[in-house]
This record gives sequence, C-alpha cells and structure tokens, in this order.
Amino acid sequence: MDREARIALLVDHAQRPRHAGPLADADVRVPGGNPGCGDLITVYLKVEPGGDRLAAASFEGAGCTISQGSTSLLLNRLNKDHPTLGELLDSSYDEMIDFLGRDVVGSRLSCATLALGTIKAGVRRLLTDRRLRAAGKSEEEIRRLRSALEEYAHPASGVPRAAGAEDA
Amino acid sequence: MTTPKAPPSVAPIADRGYAHPEVLVSTDWVADHLDDPAVRLVESDEDVLLYDIGHVPGAVKVDWVADLNDPVIRDYLDRVRFEQLLRSNGIGDDTTVVFYGDRNNWWATYAFWVFRLFGMGRLAVMDGGRARWEEEGRPLVSAVPSYIGGDVRVGERQDRAIRAFREDVLGHVAAQKPLVDVRSPEEYRGERLHMPDYPNEGALRGGHIPGAASVPWARAVNPETHTFRPASELEAIYQQEQGLGRDDDVIAYCRIGERSSHTWFVLTYLLGFAQVRNYDGSWTEWGNSVRAPIERP
Repeated sequence: MDREARIALLVDHAQRPRHAGPLADADVRVPGGNPGCGDLITVYLKVEPGGDRLAAASFEGAGCTISQGSTSLLLNRLNKDHPTLGELLDSSYDEMIDFLGRDVVGSRLSCATLALGTIKAGVRRLLTDRRLRAAGKSEEEIRRLRSALEEYAHPASGVPRAAGAEDA
Repeated sequence: MTTPKAPPSVAPIADRGYAHPEVLVSTDWVADHLDDPAVRLVESDEDVLLYDIGHVPGAVKVDWVADLNDPVIRDYLDRVRFEQLLRSNGIGDDTTVVFYGDRNNWWATYAFWVFRLFGMGRLAVMDGGRARWEEEGRPLVSAVPSYIGGDVRVGERQDRAIRAFREDVLGHVAAQKPLVDVRSPEEYRGERLHMPDYPNEGALRGGHIPGAASVPWARAVNPETHTFRPASELEAIYQQEQGLGRDDDVIAYCRIGERSSHTWFVLTYLLGFAQVRNYDGSWTEWGNSVRAPIERP
C-alpha cells in the first residue's frame, strides 16, 4: 500500500470509525489521551468468559485524524484476530507504526500509538483486578484500591509520586 | 454530504483597531490571491493529515515537527535548513507568506514566529484559519503544488528579541515582570497534567510560574467566526482585566510554546506591545527543571 492509500485508509477510519461507542458488559473501560493536544479516547475491552482471549473491543473518542483513525484500524484488527491478553501486552509500538506507515505518522508518534498504549493499560488493569479478586478482594475494595492508586500516581495536586514514596 | 453552516460575517480587518493590521489577511483576500505568484500560502496544522485530505489551492505544508525543529536537539532549524525550507517551497525574498491552519491558527502563528526568528518580513496569517475557509464553503484540493526554488538568503536566527529562555524567565520572576500563562485553567492550577497510563508529554510538577497571569490563548478568538477579536475586546482582556501595558516586558508560555506563540502574535501585532517574548521551553521545561519555582493556588 502506498502513502496515499494509507492516508486514505486512516482518513476513512477517522471519519467513519468502526467499533465506535461503549461496549455493553465490558470488563474494563480505560481512558487515554493527551488533553494538551486534544486527542482523547476511551477504550472498552471484553474478554472471553473465563478465558484469556479478547472477545471484543470498542472505543469513543475525539481528536486528530491519526489518533482516531489508528484507534479504529487497530480495533478492527483486534476484533478479527481476538489476540490473547499476553499477545496484546507484547504488541510492539514499532509494528503499530509500521502498520500505519512510518512515512504517514512519523511526525506524530504519540497520536499513532495512543490506542495501543491505552489498550495495554486496560489489559494491565484487567489482570490486576483478576489478581485482586483471586486474593479475595471484593469489587468495592478493588474500586477503592484503584481510586487510591490513581490518586497516588496522578494526584489532583499534579505531583506524581515516585514508587515507594511515603506520604508526609 | 452536508454543507457546513456559513460562519457569521466579521468586520473588515482594517476596521478592528489593530496596531499592525498588515499581518492579517481575510479569507476573501486569500481567495483573490490564489494565483498570485508573489503570495505563498502555508498550511501548518496540529492534525498533520489535514493538508493531505485537502488544502487551500496552491498551499504548501510546513509541519512544526518535521520542518521547523532541529532533528536532534530541542531547538529550531538553523539558517541553512531554513533557507532550504524556503527554497523547497518556492519562497523568495519578495514573497508574501500567508500562514493558516487548524486550531484557530495556533501552529500558523507558531510558524509565523519561527519565520520571524530569521528576520523574515512579508508575513501574514489568514484570519479565521482553516475552519473559516472550510465553513465558507471555499475549495480545498489534494494536489500538492511544486514551486521553483529561488536563491533566497536569510540572516542567522536571532532569538533574543522574541524568544525567551529559562534564565530569562527566572529573571522575570525575580523582577516581578509580567508573565502570561496561556494554558487551560486546569493546567495553570496544576491539576492533572495528563491521562493515567498515557505517555507523559507534560512535566513532573504541576502549577504555574510564580506571578504568571492566567489568560487562556483561545480567549483572543471569537469561537463563532474563528477570527481574532477586535482590538477593543483584546484590550479588555489583556490590558483592563490583566493590567498589562503596551510597554511592558512580557513573556508568554504554555506547554511547548505553540499556544503562547498565538498570544505573542496577539500582543505584538494586534495590540502593539513593544516587547513580548515567547518562552518555547514552556511548561515541559519549567515543570521538569530542578528547583524551578512553582506556584499553585
């Protein structure tokens, strides 16, 4: 596929996003983006019951052609291939960039890898939740832990804390 | 296919009271100069594929990442590369360069600012940017033009007059001179800098430079027309509300200097401030600098 065709594909997906909208009964809903430049997405992931393989994925978002088109393209591929969670975590950002066309997205790598980064974050969250459930934590306890962890890493003060740092 | 709703009309640029109205041209003016060999239209966007999707006929693309930055260190291109950029886009000594783009022209004013670092005259911005051109139903084409490069030569980049560095800002803080933070109020207050799990493009610390006034850049634009507000409304924002004066030594900043180039443009050319600099290191430098003073409400 040449550069023009890759651009046309990205534009088509940005203008007519596939797998758009919330996913009913999603196992995880994870936001990603950069408010500074206005690219925002929320990804919904559903895993096969009791399994380790992605059953379905969808997204909502707004932003530039590359961020939105690449998210739609990636989800299109995932909804066809149904990779395992391990395969998702092992997915290469370089491969994603090559898939989109380095000559097309090379100057906007953060936009091009937004979807994959967000999906990986969702998978990590899902696996953490599983481990917490296996350890006997209730959904409410997991929710509170999640909230505390997010505040710890990204506090409202805007000062991310280093791992292991103690609160004064 | 739906036709975009035409934007409201605006007063002529010459009637809006700007100090230097010659740096703005209307979409009508651009439409009348599409075939003018002395005019080169330059599109600069946040959404890097917009140009490929369709651009004003005859326009070339200048991308802030690929074309204006040094490829290795955090700085702008040097004179040799800048001359190559001009020649490759058919810009000569006598060419009038008209910038336009998405996001209310924020990268257009950024490109304007970088061109000015090299002392380029004959620069203008298309008022209303790409959004107004599109909403007026004007033509966009995908054909990429080719221009014959001239023998243009420019001087070495001169940063001092309109570009501020970290040391300049530290001096400004110490002297309690005016600083304008043009980011969103959330960024100014030091609230979340970026979304969880997303690569950090921001900084390790949140807040603002001590003493900086918060004036989000987009306040200078009428969101319905996409054009710059008239001088009287800009004066109300920057001079009456914030107490800035035309002779003040002002430094504007944002995250990487793109939004603050817009405010630099407004203060310098639309309001006629004599001494405004853009701190392009902005929060991605300041918020990561060890012991840089930070204020949070």
